Amino acid sequence: MKDLKHLIYFEHLLDEAGNELVMQAISEGKKAVGYTCYHMPEVLLNLDNCFSVRMRAPRTGSLEISTYYMTNYLCGYTKALVERGIEGGYNFLSALAGGETCTEMNRTLEHFELLNLVKNDKFFVSFIDVPFKVTPHGIKHYKNQLQKKVLEPLHERYGTDISDAAIRRAVAEHNEVCRIISEIGEYRKLDNPPITGYEFHVLCLVSYCCPKYLIIDKLRETLEEVKKRRPDEKPSHRARVVVVGSEIDDLDFTRTVEQSGALIVADRFCFGSFPGRQEIVLTDDEPALDQICRFYQETSQCPRYMSQDKVHDRYDFVDKLAKDFNAQGIIYEQMKFCEFWGYERALASHVMTELYNYPTVCVDREYTGNASGQLRTRVQAFVESLEIKQIHKEGGR
Amino acid sequence: MAGKPRNLGLTYIDKTGVRRWREWRGIKDTLIDYGWWCVMWKDMIKFVLRSPLQVVKGIFRYRWMLTYLTLPQFIDRQLEGMRGVQLKAGHLLYDIIIKHTIDIIADTFDADRNIGGKKTLADRIVCFDELVPTELMAGFPNLIGIPVQTIPIFLSSMINQQLPPVYLDAIENFGVPADVCPLPSAEAGVAAEGDFPIFGKCFIACNMPCDGSIMTTSFQDRYFKLPTYCLGVPLRYNDDVDAQEYAVEELRGCIKFIEDHTGEKFDWDAFAKALESYNEVTRFHLDLWEINRTDYPQVTGPTPWLYRMYTYHLHGGMDQRFNKADKKVHRLMTDAYEKRLPCSAEMRHKALVWSCPANYYTNFSNWLEQCWGIVSVMDMETHISQVIIDTSTPESMLKGVALTYQRATMRKHTKGGFKNAVDEMWRVAEEYNVDTIIMYDQISCKGMDGLQGIFDEQARERNINFIWVQQDLMDPRTISRRDMRRQVNQYMQSVLRETPIDPTLLDFDDCDAF
Repeated sequence: MKDLKHLIYFEHLLDEAGNELVMQAISEGKKAVGYTCYHMPEVLLNLDNCFSVRMRAPRTGSLEISTYYMTNYLCGYTKALVERGIEGGYNFLSALAGGETCTEMNRTLEHFELLNLVKNDKFFVSFIDVPFKVTPHGIKHYKNQLQKKVLEPLHERYGTDISDAAIRRAVAEHNEVCRIISEIGEYRKLDNPPITGYEFHVLCLVSYCCPKYLIIDKLRETLEEVKKRRPDEKPSHRARVVVVGSEIDDLDFTRTVEQSGALIVADRFCFGSFPGRQEIVLTDDEPALDQICRFYQETSQCPRYMSQDKVHDRYDFVDKLAKDFNAQGIIYEQMKFCEFWGYERALASHVMTELYNYPTVCVDREYTGNASGQLRTRVQAFVESLEIKQIHKEGGR
Repeated sequence: MAGKPRNLGLTYIDKTGVRRWREWRGIKDTLIDYGWWCVMWKDMIKFVLRSPLQVVKGIFRYRWMLTYLTLPQFIDRQLEGMRGVQLKAGHLLYDIIIKHTIDIIADTFDADRNIGGKKTLADRIVCFDELVPTELMAGFPNLIGIPVQTIPIFLSSMINQQLPPVYLDAIENFGVPADVCPLPSAEAGVAAEGDFPIFGKCFIACNMPCDGSIMTTSFQDRYFKLPTYCLGVPLRYNDDVDAQEYAVEELRGCIKFIEDHTGEKFDWDAFAKALESYNEVTRFHLDLWEINRTDYPQVTGPTPWLYRMYTYHLHGGMDQRFNKADKKVHRLMTDAYEKRLPCSAEMRHKALVWSCPANYYTNFSNWLEQCWGIVSVMDMETHISQVIIDTSTPESMLKGVALTYQRATMRKHTKGGFKNAVDEMWRVAEEYNVDTIIMYDQISCKGMDGLQGIFDEQARERNINFIWVQQDLMDPRTISRRDMRRQVNQYMQSVLRETPIDPTLLDFDDCDAF
């Protein structure tokens, strides 16, 4: 396939957390608000004079200092953020909107406070308390936390307009980005898609990590390009897979999986598009904030939701993705030391194999360095097993 | 102190941790100890005779059941080297724990479908996650609340260190990573092995204390196949944004859920009565800690921790035997304090024990006391809720219970922000005027691991004896009891340059012990 026109530019943007578009927005007087988790509604960080930056630590090397602070037993993503913070890599931030959604990330955010990692007098870190199931009083609690710990401090410190009208404007902009990404993503349903999982991951990541108003034109242009793009006659992939699991912002991971013969047709992981790039449909009869809180709680696929309805919903969701995108297998991946996904991966892989009849494979991984031989071998073996199953199926065995 | 303990390490049978003969504590204390030992056996025999067939079936059906036959050895470990008030108080309090545990096991076996238990009894049971304190069940006097994990794995892991690895291996073979906290992991292992008894109309799960416990619920749900209510307890209980409205609503939902699934009506009067009793027990603990703040602490080591944890989670204000024992111990410790009696042979260091302790070495703080004179006067697991619940109205009771739940074991300190773990530790250390902190490094506890550097830095600034003790909660294969002792020995000998009070306890092998 012909390369996407802006792919190298997008990749370049992903080389730094404070990339050129982030810095451009700041020079235009905007306030960068970092966040790390789906439970912090991205759309609320894009109000008025603020823009959201989903936190990454690209090109992470040694984690020695963060290991001193947080031991060897915490996940690489959380430690990489602390390490990068200590190096001064997030000084562009005006706020860090976080929550105690997982213990490890909570500790990371606390280090920003404890070690004063961002040199900005007005900088603040928020810690919201997100309920573990979806109930009306839980949504009220969630909303209350967001209002008091995120929106009001933004208003008090940076004069941000947090009115209902401002929220609705942010939702409109957010929805436009979602529409573009989703429309591109829909092409992955085709037998021979005009976009690879890797390319889609790049597009998705830039939409999380760059100011929306500065990236949207190029995303729009890319959508038009994908519409007209002609895939190779003979596809390079040998199997279609859904990737499910914890945080992946490392492009090497998707690259390695696809180089091993699997095409990632659906991305159900943090920083992926399921969930995250679905439009938020607002009605006029209820405050926008209430509707947003309900939307994020209901659509979240995080394993921290422990009620039986949400647990089964997670299996059904993956099943639906696999069916919609015609996937032959599922890769469950987990960031090493992630407590939530450690359990979820183990149980869900059995459930999906035994009850839903999907071939699955489990991999655990470090934050970076995923172009590893070990991962390649695992995926290659999985692809081969999918091919064999396909041959048996075609042969009626 | 009469009959000071001497050469305690000499009588161990190598590797077993078992003594060749019972400890000689002087005539009076030996008789007291022996008397209680007989009472313990009497209780256990009585239990077997109550429904011998079910007990035999239970022994053959459940791997963990045999562990309870070693209870006397467990109690001996906790009270090793103790004399006078410590010994009497310990026996009084452990005796109630044993009696109450026996009652739970008896109900469990009588109702367990796996071994042909009675359906009528099973239908009166509400299964609880062990982290949910059982006060709520006091409002359902016709029902029985049973913490499902307590007997199969939590208590048994304290009694017999060899048990949890079986379940840990099972669940790791299933695919759960080995780096997660072993407590929820072992619970999931019990479910995977089919070793939970089966009974009850519904299950009350909860999000306490930590991420692993949340995730293990899915494994148990699949095993129990009961309607489940997930009790959400707010994490940020100390923040200025009020979480109490949500917490109370969760409790209301829980009550309604139990009502819907059992057909019983919540009895607010019975609930109030039980909470009064619960408050009485809390007041006893507050008094005990008050004395431990002074230079003459009276009940130290593992006893306050184990008893506090047990009463907090399982008493629920429904068993007056606890209150009676408390009164006796209260009298003993107050008298001893007024006479300024020492609690141990030699108190060289007054210590605070922080972070999650190792289940497989519950008597570690006793060893600290006997070997090095490090007397543990307070620990993190003891320092949980101190809320006295206002019983004047249903609303105030629910508010009080909600506040209590937010301060549950491990949850109070490992969640809700670093201040609850770090700042609170320094505050308690000052309050108890300790010169030493025994800091457990429970290697799989992500919440505490994430603060290790901060703890270290602040300890250096304060120039306090800060002794890290690595352990793995329920897996003695990773870090053994002996390894735990070695870390303290190294600090005491190389940093403080001290010699042990009892050199025979310095190093011994107990890898095959219960």
